[in-house]
Amino acid sequence: MKDRAAVVRPPSGDGIPRLEGLSVAMSEVRIAAEPRTEFGKGGARRTRRAGKVPAVLYGHGKPPRHIALPAHDLLHAFKTNAGTNVLLTLELADGTELALAKDVQRHPIKGSFEHIDLVLVNRGEKVVADIQINVIGEPHPDTLVDQQAATIAVKADATLLPGPIEVDITGLEPGTAILARQVALPEGSELDADPDTVIVQCLAKRTTAQVESDLGETSAEGSEEAAAAGASA
Amino acid sequence: MLIPRKVAHRKQHHPGRTGAAKGGTKITFGEYGIQALESAYVTNRQIESARIAMTRHIRRGGKVWINIYPDRPLTKKPAETRMGSGKGSPEWWIANVKPGRMLFELSGVDEAVAREAMRRAIHKLPMKCRFVVREGGA
Repeated sequence: MKDRAAVVRPPSGDGIPRLEGLSVAMSEVRIAAEPRTEFGKGGARRTRRAGKVPAVLYGHGKPPRHIALPAHDLLHAFKTNAGTNVLLTLELADGTELALAKDVQRHPIKGSFEHIDLVLVNRGEKVVADIQINVIGEPHPDTLVDQQAATIAVKADATLLPGPIEVDITGLEPGTAILARQVALPEGSELDADPDTVIVQCLAKRTTAQVESDLGETSAEGSEEAAAAGASA
Repeated sequence: MLIPRKVAHRKQHHPGRTGAAKGGTKITFGEYGIQALESAYVTNRQIESARIAMTRHIRRGGKVWINIYPDRPLTKKPAETRMGSGKGSPEWWIANVKPGRMLFELSGVDEAVAREAMRRAIHKLPMKCRFVVREGGA
């Protein structure tokens, strides 16, 4: 079953690989990759049973290479502070390659890795990655915090992708919002999203009367329906 | 209660119960979610009951999203009726839920409150479910 971790956007006009559904990258992890010879559902399942994750490596106009990565090592790599934006150094039979995870497919219940799309990167190359947003601070007491975006698209050096970005909402009053352009990005990173994208907004909390009416309406509806059912019977 | 305004066919076959959810398996809107671990037909009454259980617990804080919709009619023949004479009349509206589907989402409250609210909601549902928290990235 295919469950996409992120929607992959088409490559931008400037030839920069687009990376979505990713969080952070600062560390670099070496992983031994072996070429994959059997494909399809059966082959992929045999690879997974052997404790490996089917993956494909592409980018820079090179033909795609089908590889298998050790699942345990990959899990540890993605558990570093960098998350899925970790820079991977793949040890292949014919040398090493630098890659970033572009799409991570996980089992919806077990959470195990089903398939990984890896994109080749070079040192010093600018890439666009989705960086995780962490909301911190306490807003005004009568507000309801609504985080509209969990990640933000940032363009940065492939080897220096920033960690999670913190957005402070301390004292934010109802009816106010923090837009993408107001988020302080780390040095060397620039925003690659619509500057007017709402990241987090503060709404007014519902009044007690509104909550009561919401719950009351439903019970009234239910009793009306029951009465109608009784009448028809 | 959630009921479709208009349907193309009043009486449908029973939806398939095999397989896992193809989509809607991640938390998209909120911070916390209820994920189905089994397949089930969830009626509009159960959805409403679960929503009320959550809303009652979180009171003024928090926002609830319902990610499933009961768009499939199920029919029932009257009691003590001989077989034949056509299909029964529509009796329930159900959402065909498969394992992995995110049913409800919640935000704006802390994890302890969300966990308890969703635990109460899970008791109203006809299958095994679990509480999940949104993770960063994939």
